[in-house]
Amino acid sequence: MESRDQDPAAPQAGEPPGEPPTPEPPATEPPTTEPPATERPTTAAPATEAPAGGAPPHEPPAGDPPPTGAASTGGAADAPRRLYRSRDDRMVAGVCGGLARYFGIDPVIVRVAAVALVFAGGAGLLAYLAAWLLVPDEAAAAGRGPGRTATVAGAVLLVFAVTTIVPFWGGPFGGNWGGPFAGLLCLALLGLGVWWLASGEHPAGSARDVLRRAGLGLAILALCGILAVGAAWATAVGGGTVVAVVVIVAGVWVAAGAVLGGTRWLILPALALALPAGVVSAANIDVDGGIGDRQYRPAAATAVHPVYRLGVGRLVVDLRNADLGAGDRRIDLKLGIGEAVVAVDPGVCVTTHARIGAGEVGVFDRTSGGIDVDWQDDRTALSRTPRVVIDANIGVGALRVTQDDPQAVSGHDFGTTAADGGNDACVGGRNG
Amino acid sequence: MDRRRLDPVPLVAGLGIAAFGAILLLDQLDVLDLRFAALGPLACAVLGAILLATGLARRD
Repeated sequence: MESRDQDPAAPQAGEPPGEPPTPEPPATEPPTTEPPATERPTTAAPATEAPAGGAPPHEPPAGDPPPTGAASTGGAADAPRRLYRSRDDRMVAGVCGGLARYFGIDPVIVRVAAVALVFAGGAGLLAYLAAWLLVPDEAAAAGRGPGRTATVAGAVLLVFAVTTIVPFWGGPFGGNWGGPFAGLLCLALLGLGVWWLASGEHPAGSARDVLRRAGLGLAILALCGILAVGAAWATAVGGGTVVAVVVIVAGVWVAAGAVLGGTRWLILPALALALPAGVVSAANIDVDGGIGDRQYRPAAATAVHPVYRLGVGRLVVDLRNADLGAGDRRIDLKLGIGEAVVAVDPGVCVTTHARIGAGEVGVFDRTSGGIDVDWQDDRTALSRTPRVVIDANIGVGALRVTQDDPQAVSGHDFGTTAADGGNDACVGGRNG
Repeated sequence: MDRRRLDPVPLVAGLGIAAFGAILLLDQLDVLDLRFAALGPLACAVLGAILLATGLARRD
């Protein structure tokens, strides 16, 4: 039990030794169970304000929210019930636990409702944050919560965080009036959050302690950022096997800490290592082909390469002047991140197979986009008509097949343009 | 008897991270094909399990 549960015993310690407990206090002293109306303690009264005679052991200690139905006992009948964030039954900030205790229902019901409201336009999230800010903490009300400095610092940081983020949303409170100072404060807030996640400790104590923990949190965040970028890059350049083995070792190390202790700090860095590597693997990003813009304009069919590869950037293959003869011409496009554009003559039939981790495909007037895009557009060319078979593998980005000038085509310019006639050289034409 | 109490948070997190790494390894070895459709739920499951273990540990 926590120390506050032993408060009823404290006043007894102050009694003269050997003196029997007084069942009724002297008339000059305020009654222990029914104080005067003007001094009737509310549930928020700190423990230090308890009457000298002490409360009976069966009563909840001062500062605790009354249990459900507590208003029916003694002098508490007239006292308003107070809503607190629960200290003992909390997942994040104790809002749901406090509400459940206030209404006398199962906390799981409140939590399920809160999660459901999060998906209802984010109303649940806003309500939760508001309750976090406005509803007092049960422990703080009992005088054993974080210090006033930490509370004020947290509130100021939250206000600056909101005012910094809101302009990016274009909300009614737009305007970057927070300036760089607000950015620094947001960083400190982020550091505190990371520290809380990594250590499980709340930012309590003096301002110096809070700042120190914010700094440690930022240091962990910086380490995680370096690890994330490094893991993503290593996976993208072909070192994914090594990264995967490191992630497994880190996981086993963290799990061993369940018995040996001292490995909680490694959870965030291990996640920072694993998740970006997973994203790069899922997108199948391969940056082996280099970085930059590449343009290929073969002037003859013999100059057309079977494979065009680029790591990051814009890859343009302009076949409009290649004078492709009848028959199939296969082109493999491998692009890690960026945009690939293939321009063909209107007299060329195009068959396209594309796999894109995240992005868009636009083949003349047909488009598709999202994550895990698998594009299959098999066409049969008219007799004595050239056919280009495009097989594209793009990690994150876009594939565009057009009859326009590639310089005039951008990744956001999907759909039929004036010059794009579609796949008219195929059997069935553009709708085939 | 002096027995160290088992901490569920690093246990759950470690097993989740190790499982995630094993799937990454299988993808790199072309044993399976990891796509975003599987990565999303997988990442959510690992993070959710860690958060759940953290919350339950604090409740205890």
